[in-house]
Amino acid sequence: MSVLVLVEDPADELAQQALTFARSVDGDVAAISISGDYAPAAWGQTLADQVAARAPQAVIAAGSERGNEVLAHAAAILDLPLSANTIAFAAGSPPTVTRVRWGGSLLEQALLHGSTLLMTVAPHAVAADGVAVELEVVSPSQHALAVAPTKRVGAASGGVSLEDADVVVSGGRGVGSADGFAIIEELAELLGGAVGCSRAVTSAGWRPHTDQVGQTGTKVAPDIYIACGISGATQHMAGCKGAKKLLAINEDGEASIFAHADYGVIGNLHEVVPAIAAEIRKARAA
Amino acid sequence: MALAAALGASGTLFARRVTRLRALVQSAKPTERSGDVPVRVRNEVTIVLGQRKLLQRFVPGLMHAFIFWGFLVLAPTILIAMIAIVDRHQTLPWLGHQGWYALLVDIFCVLVLVGVVSALYMRKVVRPKRFEGSHLGEADLILALIATVVISLLLWHASRIALGYNEWPASWSPVSHLLSHLFGHGSGTRVLERVFVWIHVATILSFLAYLPYSKHLHIGAAAINVWFGRTAARGRLEPLRFEPEEGESEEDLRFGAGTAADLTWKQVLDTFSCTECGRCQDVCPANQTGKLLSPKLVIMGLRDQLFSGDREAALVPTAVPAESIWDCVTCGACIEACPVSIEHVDHIVDLRRHLVMVESSFPSEAEPMLRDIERSSNPWGHPQGQRADWAAELDVRVLEPGDAPPEYLYWVGCASSFDERARRTAEATAKLLQAAGVEFAILGPRESCTGDPARRMGNEYVFQALAEQNVATLNEAGVTKIIANCPHCFNTLANEYPDFGGSYEVVHHTELLAKLVSEGRLQPARDEKLMVTYHDSCYLARHNDVLEAPRELVGAVGTALPMTRSGKQTFCCGAGGAHMWMEERANPINVERVREAAETGADTLAVACPFCTVMLDDGVQSTGDQLRVVDVATLLVEALEHPAAPSAD
Amino acid sequence: MHICVCVKRVPLTGGKITLTDDQRALSTKHLGFTVSPHEECGVEEAVQIVEREGGSVTVLTLGPAEAEEQLRDMMAIGADRAIHLVSGAEEWDPQATAAAVVAAIGAEEQQPDLILFGNESADAGNYQVAIRVAHALGMPSVTGVKKITFESGRAVCEQEVAGGRDIYELALPAVVSVKEGINLPRYPSVPGRLRAKRKPLEASNPRRPAAQLEMVKLVLPPDSGKQMQVLGTGAEAAPAVVAVLSELGVL
Repeated sequence: MSVLVLVEDPADELAQQALTFARSVDGDVAAISISGDYAPAAWGQTLADQVAARAPQAVIAAGSERGNEVLAHAAAILDLPLSANTIAFAAGSPPTVTRVRWGGSLLEQALLHGSTLLMTVAPHAVAADGVAVELEVVSPSQHALAVAPTKRVGAASGGVSLEDADVVVSGGRGVGSADGFAIIEELAELLGGAVGCSRAVTSAGWRPHTDQVGQTGTKVAPDIYIACGISGATQHMAGCKGAKKLLAINEDGEASIFAHADYGVIGNLHEVVPAIAAEIRKARAA
Repeated sequence: MALAAALGASGTLFARRVTRLRALVQSAKPTERSGDVPVRVRNEVTIVLGQRKLLQRFVPGLMHAFIFWGFLVLAPTILIAMIAIVDRHQTLPWLGHQGWYALLVDIFCVLVLVGVVSALYMRKVVRPKRFEGSHLGEADLILALIATVVISLLLWHASRIALGYNEWPASWSPVSHLLSHLFGHGSGTRVLERVFVWIHVATILSFLAYLPYSKHLHIGAAAINVWFGRTAARGRLEPLRFEPEEGESEEDLRFGAGTAADLTWKQVLDTFSCTECGRCQDVCPANQTGKLLSPKLVIMGLRDQLFSGDREAALVPTAVPAESIWDCVTCGACIEACPVSIEHVDHIVDLRRHLVMVESSFPSEAEPMLRDIERSSNPWGHPQGQRADWAAELDVRVLEPGDAPPEYLYWVGCASSFDERARRTAEATAKLLQAAGVEFAILGPRESCTGDPARRMGNEYVFQALAEQNVATLNEAGVTKIIANCPHCFNTLANEYPDFGGSYEVVHHTELLAKLVSEGRLQPARDEKLMVTYHDSCYLARHNDVLEAPRELVGAVGTALPMTRSGKQTFCCGAGGAHMWMEERANPINVERVREAAETGADTLAVACPFCTVMLDDGVQSTGDQLRVVDVATLLVEALEHPAAPSAD
Repeated sequence: MHICVCVKRVPLTGGKITLTDDQRALSTKHLGFTVSPHEECGVEEAVQIVEREGGSVTVLTLGPAEAEEQLRDMMAIGADRAIHLVSGAEEWDPQATAAAVVAAIGAEEQQPDLILFGNESADAGNYQVAIRVAHALGMPSVTGVKKITFESGRAVCEQEVAGGRDIYELALPAVVSVKEGINLPRYPSVPGRLRAKRKPLEASNPRRPAAQLEMVKLVLPPDSGKQMQVLGTGAEAAPAVVAVLSELGVL
């Protein structure tokens, strides 16, 4: 076995993508899952012990919050470099990785000088090839610094969660005020979607940070992302580039967001958004 | 004897209060208000003696003028009366014998009474909104005292004529002469004559004592306040220092007005001069659209705080609510309307300075703007690298470091660089300058925001950093002449940058374009069927007296249909005072202005400011009026390019 | 409580990224700079904790000489002192960065009870410096924290996960990486800025070890090849929008 892949849930899309990536590094892939509750340092130690025992060429995980965290622990314990959010691998001595910077707006090519190659795979950078995998369950090792979570508290609100929504209607500076979001909320509700916002909006105090879409906010992957009055700064695009389709509504025909959009409407969102809502109601009544 | 006692009592009360008032002024913070003596003298003559500001509202102005001029004319009669109390047969040498003077006295007594009656009519019957919040009871008392003074004077004169005591020819004072028929020649009249003179003097002495405790204090303070009003660069705010001087510690630095102890002596004098007339309140666009702000109540609140003696309490909210402070658009209509040269915007900005710079307390929606202006050098947080993108296709010279200086530096401003509507003005201006063969360049990415929004918001610290940066860029580039199409940039560059070592000849683009048209270097074709109403920008018209040039341009391209509130009486578009980045409560100011513009029947609303462009266009979109909002530069370019008909939009 | 917060100076990129000619760095001409967003929240968190519990806040950065601007900005919002590890023009990879931070903290007279990091830096986004520092210093760590409280000498941290939050309790001293949204950083006051100019700042010039994750060059991602379809201007575009929504099956 040449490549070890850490998998939590084999059905998970990101896990599938990580396995596909792993296969591009080397065909000989072993997927392992660690039993018991999550404890990042302990899981990191587990991977380190696996490396000591099996001497793989590489250890790979999905670039999810957990994947990055566990591999970082493993990297720290092994004192090896880690390429987080990798999208491509080219063999060599040393091999070259291409990894994501600026939430996806920039790529880095780097030489990975490690006796074992530690990498996490950027979400949605690789298409899963659907090949089935056998999962090996491993018991966790101990680590002196390991801390496990003591409890979990559920998400507070009802309504559609931003991460899972199929439709996200998002407002930026152009909305103008907290009250201005009423039309955004209306459209989101009509489409059964969630409301998002840009960082300027959170900074202005119009919406809570939980609504913020962006590099330092929530990353969304809806079927359609409707960006209203959002200019298209890279840090925002980092949050919504997972969307299958992007509709941008902006008064400024030169706004950067139009470069990333599938559909565009040039106009004042205060007129366009209510018009869309009215049109939806009309279409449904018919 | 009795007179001496009365004088003594009144004088003491008066003096005690005046001493306190003087102490409040002297213990206040310093400010520079010297120089320009000829202008100050002219202001005293026109504003004080000539009642020019008061006469902006003709009827109430005349009412006041009668009373004011009356008091000037009648002043010597106070002495005459006091002399007569001591010896009923003595009077002022020479003047007391002059018939013409007695005539003047009679005429002005009547005029004062006319003034008092009309004042009472206005306050009791008409009851205009501007008196809301004023101390009406105090005003009534003052009117009653004035009436008593004047009536007692007439009756006294009348009784003297009846007794034959008059030192002047009775026929010269027709009113007193007429009234004298009420009195006989006997002892009753002799008593009455003493009664009237005592009533007259006693009323005056009581008035004197009461004066500095009431808003009538303005009669002393106003003349002084007018003298110390701004004479030049009215749009300039006074800078603050952030480095302690010799012998000063950092704690001594003044970051705006947090407590009564922070007010400058001019600000203190402003509060003493306020007569609570409410004209400022009436013309305030925020007040007129249902917001809390009343410039009058701000000044009264500060005055009351000063008199309370509490120099520790926070002025906001103790004297003035925070909401009022943030409602202000710094349009200066209040200052223009104020008959006693109070500079309300100074007060409001100083209060903002303390709130923003010391307490970090300000409307949260403005925080992105403040952060962006500091970190990205423009209030929208756009990358400066894109600042010259609007000029990409226009063959405009971008000045690089080390280049030879241009004849004119065209300062484009953040709005015209980045906002899609305001950008058209920059394009038009560039094309016009090129068509006229004017040699110019732009700074492009090296042009940072002038800092106006930060300064009007109260963040003087961030403003000064930007000012210093821009002045360094301009000076290193050897710039001497600047064209600005944004009145806010224009105001800051022309009036405020000299404080930071930047002295340039700054013209507004309409001024230069009007000159080019009058010189024949631009020859627009006029379409008389183009009905244009021109909206004066506050920062151009009121703060900087640029009125004619844009009108010449409008006249050169179409037919002008002026609005009622135009020129120095212009009504704000609502974007000033950093309001472009703040939310607005109640009714929007821009919609109110668009309504007024639509009423003229014009099809085009011409502006000369990128903020006005955006605000009024937003207003038109929300009212649905058929009005095209466009900068005069764009109209001019269209009149050059399409001589037959302007482009439809 | 003595808290050390590690921050990084990053450019404000706006809508487009451009590279230098050698393709080894962002072209930062005309760009403004700031502290990376997660980290600014970290400093605010530290300042708030110390306002409640007493103690002091040290802010630390590994960055070019210009990064002093960010250190002064952080002292303006309440950090008491700063440590500036002056890096040259070259980038430091995560291991080198962590080693420099560990050495600096090791040299401190007063050891911190809590070391805060941002979850990942806005630019490089390596997600690992905090954890490496924690292991090197023998401290427990947790990442992605949106709330920190203290109970009986332990740091109670809430980590955001899908569907809610996991609660971790860490014995002090500990390393925590926080995410934006944990708080809203305050706007600095002018007295704060003036005081910050005089607060102590210790600078040193650590030697950069050879990179293990060695950046060769930066590349702009390939154009998506998207051709935007303009559905219309203004409210008249509404029917076209609804047609698209219907096609996508979200209606």
